[in-house]
Amino acid sequence: MTPDFPNLSFTLFCLLNTGFVLLVSPFYMSLIKKVKAAAQGRKGPRLLQNYYDLRKLLHREVVYSPTSSGVMRVTPYLNLAVLLLASLFVPVIFIPDAPAGIGNIIVFIYLLAIERFFTALCGLDAGSTFGGMGSSRAMSLSAVIEPTMVISFAALAYVLKTVDLHEMFAITSASAIPVSPTLVLVSISLFIIIIVETGRLPVDNPATHLELTMINEAMILEQSGKNLALIELTHSVKQTLLMAVLINILVPVGLSGGPNMGDLAVSGLLVSGLAFLVKAALLAVVIGLFESSLSKMRLFRLPVFYMMAFFFSALTILMEVFA
Amino acid sequence: MILYNYLAVGALAFALILLSRSHRAMNAFTVLHSLAYLALGAFALASGTHGFEAGNSYFYLDRLSLYEALVAALLFCFASVYSNGYVESLMEARELNRKNLKIFYMAFSLLLTTTTLAFFSDSLALFWIFAELTTVFSAVLVAILSARENIDAALKYIFIASGAMLFAFIGLIFLFKLSGEVPGCGGGTLNWTVLMANAGSLSPKMLTASFVFIFIGFAAKSGIVPFHTWLPDAHSKAPSAVSAILSGVLLNVGTYGILRMYALVRQTEAGPLVSGFLIAFGLLTVAVAVLNMLRQKNMKMLIAFSSVEHMGIILLGIGAGSPLALFWTLYYVLAHSLTKASLFFSAGILHRQYESNLAGDMRDVLQLQPLAGWGFIVGSVAIVGLPPFPIFSAKLSILLEAARLPYGGILVFAVLVFLVLASAAFARFLLEAFTRRSSGSVSNGLSEEPLQPYHVRLGMKVPIAVMLCLVLVLGVYCPPFLEKLLNGIVQELGYI
Amino acid sequence: MISPLLTDPLFLEGAIKILFVFVLVTAALVISARNLASLLTTYTIQSLLLALIAGLLYLIEGSPVLLSIAALTFVSKVLLIPFFINIVEEKVKIRRDMKFNYLEPTSSLMVSIALVLLAYVFLSGFFALDRLFFFGAVIGLSLTLMGMLVMFSRRKVITKVLGYLTMENGVLLFGIFVTELPFIIEVLIIIDLIILVLLTTILAVGIDSTIEEYHQRLLKLKIWSGREYL
Repeated sequence: MTPDFPNLSFTLFCLLNTGFVLLVSPFYMSLIKKVKAAAQGRKGPRLLQNYYDLRKLLHREVVYSPTSSGVMRVTPYLNLAVLLLASLFVPVIFIPDAPAGIGNIIVFIYLLAIERFFTALCGLDAGSTFGGMGSSRAMSLSAVIEPTMVISFAALAYVLKTVDLHEMFAITSASAIPVSPTLVLVSISLFIIIIVETGRLPVDNPATHLELTMINEAMILEQSGKNLALIELTHSVKQTLLMAVLINILVPVGLSGGPNMGDLAVSGLLVSGLAFLVKAALLAVVIGLFESSLSKMRLFRLPVFYMMAFFFSALTILMEVFA
Repeated sequence: MILYNYLAVGALAFALILLSRSHRAMNAFTVLHSLAYLALGAFALASGTHGFEAGNSYFYLDRLSLYEALVAALLFCFASVYSNGYVESLMEARELNRKNLKIFYMAFSLLLTTTTLAFFSDSLALFWIFAELTTVFSAVLVAILSARENIDAALKYIFIASGAMLFAFIGLIFLFKLSGEVPGCGGGTLNWTVLMANAGSLSPKMLTASFVFIFIGFAAKSGIVPFHTWLPDAHSKAPSAVSAILSGVLLNVGTYGILRMYALVRQTEAGPLVSGFLIAFGLLTVAVAVLNMLRQKNMKMLIAFSSVEHMGIILLGIGAGSPLALFWTLYYVLAHSLTKASLFFSAGILHRQYESNLAGDMRDVLQLQPLAGWGFIVGSVAIVGLPPFPIFSAKLSILLEAARLPYGGILVFAVLVFLVLASAAFARFLLEAFTRRSSGSVSNGLSEEPLQPYHVRLGMKVPIAVMLCLVLVLGVYCPPFLEKLLNGIVQELGYI
Repeated sequence: MISPLLTDPLFLEGAIKILFVFVLVTAALVISARNLASLLTTYTIQSLLLALIAGLLYLIEGSPVLLSIAALTFVSKVLLIPFFINIVEEKVKIRRDMKFNYLEPTSSLMVSIALVLLAYVFLSGFFALDRLFFFGAVIGLSLTLMGMLVMFSRRKVITKVLGYLTMENGVLLFGIFVTELPFIIEVLIIIDLIILVLLTTILAVGIDSTIEEYHQRLLKLKIWSGREYL
């Protein structure tokens, strides 16, 4: 539509947003681990531990199983690329004047689905039993969570009357009353989705290496070296993006910009970035506490957990329609 | 200020039971309590006392409430006389723990007081609360034997009845809101008398909604299908003296509430709709109850389901909505209470004899327990509604009134079919249980020891005999004072 | 800083609506929780939310009855009843209620969506209330229905009691928002509720616990036609 595409604001956004997300993601992984450790009375890893791990892994050699095919080789890069593309959909610092389509919530859901699909393929590809088991579990769970996720995002779209994440954030950050009951409800669903999508307790235990219970860890069991680093990074980016969606819906304070913001002051960006850092850190603490207050659910009881998200999303829609 | 007398007697009886040590004393105070209530009721009736009581608008005595309270007091009187011997033998058999004896009589006395107060409540909310309390105290009586089965039955009773009563409360909130829109009700009221005076100007649609909610609550209280599931359990597992009270008095609390509400609705355009609603539930109740009776091998279950059936008929009578139908429904209430209680008393004696309620365990009934046996037979004949018993005439008149309604012919035919089936169920049970002789029953290889007849105390025999005589008298002769009273009620409820 | 907010009806309405959401969350948790301790906590929080709602509504409406209801709810349902149930829970020595009749929590939640819809459709046919009040009435009725669902689907008596209490909370909420009942009635209801809870939980000790006494008693006494059970 605009002749001067790609505009400057958007280019800046691509670099800044993606870079920022990539940079801070591992931090929240460590932070959640730290909170859980503190809750259990342990000291826990350093806050920057994940960065060291990633650096170490990036220098390691990659070992492939003899049965593995090209999928194993392509997936880490593909997944990271997909997630970086997805990061364009979720502004964390400022809302750019993005071309149509960027920010569409349905595309966002399916970008996440692509990532999940390839991770599952990868688990199967190595030919090990655990990988296959993890993939099958992950796929069956994602089949169950899919309707919940769709209805939650549909509720979100219904409440804010748009399917574009950028516009949603613009609406929430512009509205006078900070919190509406329906947004609170849908936030609960979103929180559950974060827990499920990032494979946390009570759905999956990210800290376990006990073969019988793990789901996500089983799928990436065969990954090594640089590929493992990329997979871990992808996972943390995904977590940050989902957290960012929740944060910008519920407490958009500090998010700068609107679509037509021409003059982006550097100081404004700094404030926004800092605000996001703080809010995300708080959310990470909440997630950590939530995780440490629960124990792993049995696989067959998980639908109840998902059903909660479904229930709240359906209620959101009901309330919006009627109240 | 007769209400103060009621309260004082209730409190006194409770205190005396609390202080007394022997079973004999507790029982005597309970009997005196019910006799005093009977006397008070008779006095109030004779002196024509009615109107607001206790200086405020919460209590109100009219003919209907006095009538129901008198029926309750009469039943309690018989039951407390009966329970002297019955409870003693329960304790001898160690089924009732002696430590629980005082709780039994305290709950018994409180139940009488709260039931009476429930009937005298003018404010429907107050009525609701007293009805809830009757549930609580009667549940104590059901659970008094503290065996698992009893506690289960009591809990089921509490949860279903109280849960449904919460819906009734929602209905009351509706009613309060609705009455606030009428100028005569002073910004909302739940007082029945005020509502009755302004019933014509209430919105029929809202009133129907309110009625439906309140109906759920009181239907559960009086065992109307589909809220009846607690009833067979509670009635069959409670001690027989308590079962008689449950069937003869507590079910009336529910129908009383429905009747009061119906009298309100009848004044509006929603009357025919609600009539149809009540008749549909009545028919359903009769059908389900009778189908359950057919294959019943447990004596007290059979009687309990028969109570459900009779509640269905009473609902039909209320739903028929004509003055004559109301008259006979009220008559029916009295007849059913007396007959049903006598049946439970007989069943109690038979249960002491055989330590079982199952037909298969009974033999030589008429030889071992002639009074209880014949009492049960006569009671069965009376309860299925054969002449000359009062249920016959009452039922006949109700059905004749119902036949005038649209589709009345089909309705009456269906009810008659079910009534025939109900009689068949009683006949089948009697044939199975009462014809077995011990001499010929060595077929399964086990030689049975001859049973020793259980010694029935006089106090247990007298109520059965007196009640059956009363029932018989009521069947052939309606005393003029009763007729006058019932006609008065019909007038008071605005039927004429 | 807070006092101007407390007189701003718009803010108060928003706050009440958010509390409604949390009431629904507690209802969903009561349906699905399996741990008795957390069930009780959920109920306590639910009652606290109700007391808060009544308090906030008092700030809007200014009717002293609401304030008394808030205080009464707090004392009876946040302090007294949970305290008592807690004692009983310790006595019966069970921690969890894992068994369900008819409906598993998953389907219960599905059904509750339908129930909320039902409550809405039903009430919208009868009331022309203010938006906030209508919302409150719908939530109250839904809470009642969801409590009923809990009573239906749970096996343990203690959890059934909590279901009943949830129902009662729903009725209270409905009552607050539809009309203003005389305070004396509210007090009587609470008394009734306390007696009922006392009785049912005492009876529950006999049913829920694994105390063998009751089983043996039954075996010994042949009580109540019981051959079919023995």
